[in-house]
Amino acid sequence: MAPDTNRLITLDPRDAAVDGGMLLAPRTANLDGAVIGLLSNNNPNSEELMRMIVDMLKEKYAIAGAVEANKGTNRWPAPTEIIEDLADRCDVTIHATAD
Amino acid sequence: MTTPGLASARYRFDGWDEAQEFYHSRGLTDGLPIVPPTETKVQAMLDAVELAPSDVIASEGVRQKEFTAEKVAINAVMAGCLPEYMPIIVAAVEAISERTFNLHANTTTTGGTSLLAVVSGRIVQELKINSGTGLLGHGFRANASIGRALALVKINVYGSVPHEMDKSTFTHGGKYTYCFAENDEISPWEPLRVDRGFPTDSSTVTMFAAGAPVQVSTAELQQPEEFLLPVADSMIGLGPRHREMLVVLSPEIMGYVKMAGWTKRQISEFLFERAKRTGIEWNEWLRFTTSLTGNDLDASHPAVRSADGITVLCAGGAAGPMTAVINTFSGSESQTRRIKVRE
Repeated sequence: MAPDTNRLITLDPRDAAVDGGMLLAPRTANLDGAVIGLLSNNNPNSEELMRMIVDMLKEKYAIAGAVEANKGTNRWPAPTEIIEDLADRCDVTIHATAD
Repeated sequence: MTTPGLASARYRFDGWDEAQEFYHSRGLTDGLPIVPPTETKVQAMLDAVELAPSDVIASEGVRQKEFTAEKVAINAVMAGCLPEYMPIIVAAVEAISERTFNLHANTTTTGGTSLLAVVSGRIVQELKINSGTGLLGHGFRANASIGRALALVKINVYGSVPHEMDKSTFTHGGKYTYCFAENDEISPWEPLRVDRGFPTDSSTVTMFAAGAPVQVSTAELQQPEEFLLPVADSMIGLGPRHREMLVVLSPEIMGYVKMAGWTKRQISEFLFERAKRTGIEWNEWLRFTTSLTGNDLDASHPAVRSADGITVLCAGGAAGPMTAVINTFSGSESQTRRIKVRE
């Protein structure tokens, strides 16, 4: 029998770790007693929006407090010192991104 | 037959059409048909750079991505590249993975910038990369497929998928492919690769997170002080505080520059000084997120933050008094890497 010359075998172009490949911090099960970090990207209203989110969280959980930080730009990753400070002082952090 | 070492998932199809529909349906293309990445073709890409499939060309920190040789080669095949283009693609992937290139931000921004590869050196002639007429358009396999390979790597390996991570408001055709070569044969200046610290006899690729080109026509103006003024105006139109812009002079413009005896530095400094507006003028255009006040109102603020941020080079068709201005994403520093070619 003649070989099937139309048969194609091709490869997947995607990163194998495209789903869930990033190293995420362990998720927090309960926000009662938690200190919430708010990391602004300096876009207009980002700080106001995150404060509103904290207010909404307070309706459901006994939030212990909030720590605000601003990385000064929406274009670059946050400086290491800001990330380390939030990691030291907060249980979870909300990071504003995009516009 | 299975090629040893290639770890990617395999798909089997009864023909070309079925393969095309599969890649389209999974969002693995840029919207155009691809060359089906068979094991034989992918292995030829790897052989051209003497890399094993699992070799990591570069790692990117923000999204914690590794660009393996296998995945880059698969996307290069899909883009229609020849194996001899692979050294350029490898160098370009190294460049865009550099922290200060800021790949995550510039491939997701609403600003819509795309990956621009500018090739400099003898490899330009060897691979017939267009540095002349219509260099930013269609018709040239090397330009078209090298740029497309990088765009597909951005989608498939990095995961900046349109409507998902890529939130470009408009973007431009460079998202499909954006690659051209410097013409350093008619320029009296040092080529781009030398400006960036590489030897004259090397070949390099410089990667920019680039917007669409703005073509400035300056017919009948033959003095640099004249024909650079509309260029400066175009830079102002692109907004303030850019970290970098690329200014591409056509051969006809280069002729006038040579007659006037201007250096590359003179041009970048002239453009830096002329592409300025006062705080009051920028405020009127609403071009600052936070309006300027006080002493800043009367001070001049540039379109590009320094003359060092204005890259000047020669390329384009012989006919036409044209200059192209290409803006870049403000949160990105262009990166140059040497292209490693087998002797």
